[in-house]
Amino acid sequence: MQTQPRLQSNVTQAQRVLRQLTMVWADFESRLLKVPIVARAMQQQLRLADYLTLISDHYQQVVEGSGWISRAASSITAPYLDQRSVFIRHAATEHLDYQMLEKSYLASGGQPAELISARKNIGSEALSAWMYHRASQPNPFDLLGAMFIIEGLGKRFAQTFANALDENPLITDPDQLEFYRYHAAHDEDHLQELEDLLTSSILDITGMDEAIVRTAKVTARLYLLQLEELGHY
Amino acid sequence: MPSCQDVYITGVGKFLPGEPVTNADMAAYIGCISKRSSTLGSAILRKNGIKHRFYALDPKGGYRYTNAAMAANAIHNALKHARCQPEQVDLLAASTTQGDYLVPGFASSVHAELGIPPLAIFSFQSVCASSLMAVKNAWLNVKIGESQLAVASGSEFASRWFRPAVYQPFYDQDAKPDPQIEFLRWTLSDGAGAVVLEPHPKPDGVSLRIDWIQLKSFADRFPPCMYAGAKSNTGADDLGWGLYESPQAAYEAGAIALKQDFEVLYAMFPIWVGYYLELLEKYDLDPNAIDYFLPHYSSHSLGEEMKRLLRRTGAMIAEEKWCNNLECYGNTGTASIFIMLEELVQQHPLQPGQRILCFVPESGRCIAAFMHLTVV
Repeated sequence: MQTQPRLQSNVTQAQRVLRQLTMVWADFESRLLKVPIVARAMQQQLRLADYLTLISDHYQQVVEGSGWISRAASSITAPYLDQRSVFIRHAATEHLDYQMLEKSYLASGGQPAELISARKNIGSEALSAWMYHRASQPNPFDLLGAMFIIEGLGKRFAQTFANALDENPLITDPDQLEFYRYHAAHDEDHLQELEDLLTSSILDITGMDEAIVRTAKVTARLYLLQLEELGHY
Repeated sequence: MPSCQDVYITGVGKFLPGEPVTNADMAAYIGCISKRSSTLGSAILRKNGIKHRFYALDPKGGYRYTNAAMAANAIHNALKHARCQPEQVDLLAASTTQGDYLVPGFASSVHAELGIPPLAIFSFQSVCASSLMAVKNAWLNVKIGESQLAVASGSEFASRWFRPAVYQPFYDQDAKPDPQIEFLRWTLSDGAGAVVLEPHPKPDGVSLRIDWIQLKSFADRFPPCMYAGAKSNTGADDLGWGLYESPQAAYEAGAIALKQDFEVLYAMFPIWVGYYLELLEKYDLDPNAIDYFLPHYSSHSLGEEMKRLLRRTGAMIAEEKWCNNLECYGNTGTASIFIMLEELVQQHPLQPGQRILCFVPESGRCIAAFMHLTVV
C-alpha cells in the first residue's frame, strides 16, 4: 500500500476554521442557482409582483439582523468585552439597512407600510428563531460562522439579482435595485473583521472551532430555506 | 483481492497537428463569420492570452489528422519516451470531448489507429476533466494488478466546430456577434497528449508516482455551461438534438453549435475553490510544499476575491509555481493537462521528492479534478 503524502502543514487554527467556513459557503452559494426565485431571475422570468414579494420577505430578515447581533452582544461577558464592542459596532453599521429596502419597495410601486405589517415567510421564521436562539447562549461566538455565511450568501445573492435584473424591462428606476446594487458593490472588508475576531482568543474556548462551522452550516441551510419559501406564510 | 502497488507515470507524449498558427492567421483555418465577429475575437484573444495554437484542419478546408489519429500519435510518443514496446500495452483509456464518430466509442478508433494487439479499452467522454477520468481508470487498474502497462490519452479536434458553415443559418454574417459562441471559437484548438503507467519506475530518468486522483461533479446544482446538442441550456429550448424531427432541424435551430454560458461559468469558481480546500484538508497538504502547480486555467481568471480568500486561509499556491502553456498551445481541452505534464517532464530539471499538483476544472456542467504526483 502506498503512503499518502502527509505533510507538516503550518495552518493556524483560525485559518483552518476559515477554510471550513469557505467550504460551507461555497457549497451553499452554488445551490443558490437552484432556488426558484434565482433561477427564474436568471431566465428573465420575473414579474414586478415577484420582485415585491422578494423585497417584502427579505425585509423581514434585514430588520432582524441588527436585532440578533445586539442580542448576541448582550450575551457576551468578561473577559470578551473587546469582542463585545465589535458586535455592538457591527449591529450599529447595519441597523438602518432596511430603509434601503423600503426605498426600493416604494420605487417598485409598493407601500412601505405593507412591509411593516407583513409576516415572515415560513423559512424566515426558522432562520430568525435559530439566530435569536444562538444569540441567547453565553458568549455565542459561534455566530461568527453565521455572519460569514449571511454576508457571503447575501453578497452573492445580491450580485446575481442585480445582474439578472439589470436587463429586465420591469426595472426602470435605479432606486428599485438600490439595496441589491449596494450590497453587491459594497466591499467592506468583513473578512478582516472576522479574521481578527478568530485570532482574538475566542478559539481557546473548548469546542468553539467546531461550533462556528456547525452554526455556519445550519444558518446556510436556513438562509436558502427562506429564499425557497418566498411568498409562503 | 490482489494487493495494491504504487503506480508510476514512466512516459509522457504530446502531438500537435501542423504548424503553430498565430492569432492573425486563425481565420485561414477556421474561416471568418463576419468582420464584427472577428473584432470580438480580437478582444477575446487579448483576454485569454493565447498567442499560438495548432489546428488539424488545413487552410485549404481539408483536414490533416482525425481525432483518433492525433491520440494514437501522442500515445506512440509517450511509449517512445518510456521506452516501452507498443505491442505490450494491455490497457487503453482514451478521453475526448467528441470522437470522430457518434458511435462506436472513441477508444475503439484509437485502438485501431494504434495498430496494436487486442487489449482492454475504456472510452471517456466529457470535456476537460475526462483526461483525469482516463488516468484514474488506468491508475486503479495498474494499482490492483489488472494491468502491467497502461496508456491514457486526451485528444481534441475542436476546430471542426468552428467553421462558419457549422453555425449557419442561425448564426451568419448578419447576426449580432454572440460571446457565448465566439469565446470558444477563439479559445479552443486541437492536439493530443498521453501518459504511460507502470507498476514500477523507469530504470533511468524521471518517473512520477501517482499519489492520488480526486474528482467531483457538481451537476446537481448547475445547468449545462459549455454544451453542444441543445439550442439553450435552460427552459423549453434545452431539448437534446436527437429529439428534433431530424438532425437537419436540430442544426437549423442552432442546437448543434458549441456554446458557453458565462454567467454559469463565473458561478462555478467558488465551488472549485471549496473542493480544493476540502482536498487540502483531506490529505493535510501544505500549499508551500507543492513545487509545481499545473492548472488547466490561468491565475488571472481566478479573480481577486478568490485569491484573497485563498491567501487568508493559507491555501494559495505561490503564483510563480503555476505552470501553464496556454500561450503557446492554446486550450486543447482534455489534451491540455497531458501536454502540460509532457512539457514539465521534458523541460524542467525535476528532482526526486518534488510534488506536482494538477488541477483540471471542467465548465461543461461543473466538474473539478485534481491529481497529486511525486517525482521519483
